Amino acid sequence: MNKRVATIILNRNLPEATDRLYDHLIKHDGDFTDVYVVESGSDPDRLSKHVTWRADWPEAVAHGLRFNRGMNYGLSQLWKEGKFKNYDAFFLLTNDSELQDSSTLKPLLDILDKHRRVGILSPCGKRWGERFLLKHQTTKYFWFIHNNALLLRREFVEAVLNADQPDHMGFLFDGANFRGYGAESEMIAKAYANDWAAAITSDVYVGENESYLLNQADLIKTEGYEENLRLYIEEGQRWMRNKYGFNSRWSMQQYVKSFYERFFDFYPEYKNYQV
Amino acid sequence: MIHQRLESFLNKRRCTLLGLGPMSVNCVDAAIELANEHEIPLLMVASRRQIDSEDFGGGYVNNWTTSEFARYVIDHDKKGKILLERDHGGPWQNTKEIDAGLSLRRAMESAKASYRADIDAGFQIIHIDPSVDIHGTPDVDDVLERIFELYEYCWSHAQKLQREIIFEIGTEEQSGSTNTQEELDYTLRTVKRFCSKNNFPQPTFVVVQCGTRTKETRNVGSFDAPVRVADELPPEIQLPRMIEICNKYSIFMKEHNADYLSDAALQWHPRLGIHAANIAPEFGVAETRALVSILESHGQKKSAEEFLKASYDSRKWEKWMVENTKATDRDRAIISGHYVFSKPKVVEQLAAAKQNLKAKGIDLDLQLKEAVKKSILRYLVNFRLARVA
Repeated sequence: MNKRVATIILNRNLPEATDRLYDHLIKHDGDFTDVYVVESGSDPDRLSKHVTWRADWPEAVAHGLRFNRGMNYGLSQLWKEGKFKNYDAFFLLTNDSELQDSSTLKPLLDILDKHRRVGILSPCGKRWGERFLLKHQTTKYFWFIHNNALLLRREFVEAVLNADQPDHMGFLFDGANFRGYGAESEMIAKAYANDWAAAITSDVYVGENESYLLNQADLIKTEGYEENLRLYIEEGQRWMRNKYGFNSRWSMQQYVKSFYERFFDFYPEYKNYQV
Repeated sequence: MIHQRLESFLNKRRCTLLGLGPMSVNCVDAAIELANEHEIPLLMVASRRQIDSEDFGGGYVNNWTTSEFARYVIDHDKKGKILLERDHGGPWQNTKEIDAGLSLRRAMESAKASYRADIDAGFQIIHIDPSVDIHGTPDVDDVLERIFELYEYCWSHAQKLQREIIFEIGTEEQSGSTNTQEELDYTLRTVKRFCSKNNFPQPTFVVVQCGTRTKETRNVGSFDAPVRVADELPPEIQLPRMIEICNKYSIFMKEHNADYLSDAALQWHPRLGIHAANIAPEFGVAETRALVSILESHGQKKSAEEFLKASYDSRKWEKWMVENTKATDRDRAIISGHYVFSKPKVVEQLAAAKQNLKAKGIDLDLQLKEAVKKSILRYLVNFRLARVA
């Protein structure tokens, strides 16, 4: 049976967590997905049992790939290996993702099938404020999503990918934004600009176990939580200013929201899903 | 007319109005001077703990009663630019009502007495916030019922005196009636119906939780936080929607607890369409810092120490601290300084220091006022209320 989803797990030096996540996916969603593991500059003795691709060039070993570069790497490998078109969607996960004890992908795929213009689908978080908006109607379209677990529809990715640069820097996300602050917003703007919506659903919950970063930063070989947060914001703000001339995240929000509003002008049938 | 004046000003300037707490005499003077210099309306928002009527023993700001405070402002505000506002009026909003464990009816009567004194004294904006209830947690309809009773009371009393007043409703607290989009929409719809039915004016302002929360000397809410705050809707989503709802009902959205937001965050207030924002403790802290700095740098270290001790001992800083705080005793004393400015012992200590400074050619109050003006000016500039060359 053809699997509809390619799941890409990004790991850096946490093989146990990655293998647990891999096993969980195979157990609950094995019918729907192939699972690929990107090793983001992990030490040779800290690789997942299920490693698929290994970023082992010096810069990746020194600093890791982080979400943008890591997912670019995984997706571009699928592209280069001719597997890209085998899938309807790509499920991007970091190794600290915590999935529910049942199928994650089945309900997500059902939503993707029902919502034909949704290009980006994010499960909700248990402690996100967004869940208050998703009580009666469990899937809605948003202009702002901040998550490390995203399901991307292939047709949407095809509309915005950079086929001239199928590598870790520029295939889908902007690798110049290393830690990724503001990257989701750029992706969502690209979606709405190309007639694709970005949705959050409370039918599926995915958590993020920050304790890995809080307690095992040394093991992961990354900065501690506070330092990582500082760099994440500082670099992201610099990226936003240099790329867009935006000196505030609010400028980016206005930019994304303008595409969001326009989407509903052209697809009034989806107005019901507007926040 | 007050509502129309504010609306016209907002439309012309594309600005955010500033509501500031009267934290001290110097703070009040600073606000009056700035409003008159820049010819802009400023909302002076007095909580019942800061200023209350004689029946409640006044407030901690200069020990002023409501009428004394109003008289002072009205007399000094030459161009009539200050709008006096009762901030968070309502039952159990004065500590005496809490300490006495008043029943609902008694607390409502007490709130009415306080409002009556406000209107008699010349307050023009009445914030009705009955979200506090020491005997339970009122639901939205309970809160609305209490709003209506107090609204009617205030409006009738003002009519009798032929005074013009405008209203603010809602609260930033979780127990309120304007926290979620559904709640806000329901509240505004119900209030509008109530006002139309009774031929009362619509409220001018509604307080909406915008992701701002003041703790210690920083804003710990999500508005200025670039990462997610647990259980809070990101302001990127919350704010535009809440503003749309307010605009739908033609009511100005007011943000509370905007203290210590960054310049960048403040500059976005007018662009996002936030009509007004309240700031209070930041101005008190600005004055306290200036006071301690001047005393310490001009040979008055003992006075500074005595002042800091009195402030620390007041324990008024307690409610402002974050869990597991790393604040020093000095930090805590700085946070609560404005609560003790008017304590007789502190006044006495500072009087001596003032004399000593005067002998050195330093006018302490003038310098403190300038420090507060500088702090207020940051908001005026970022809110597009004042242009600085």
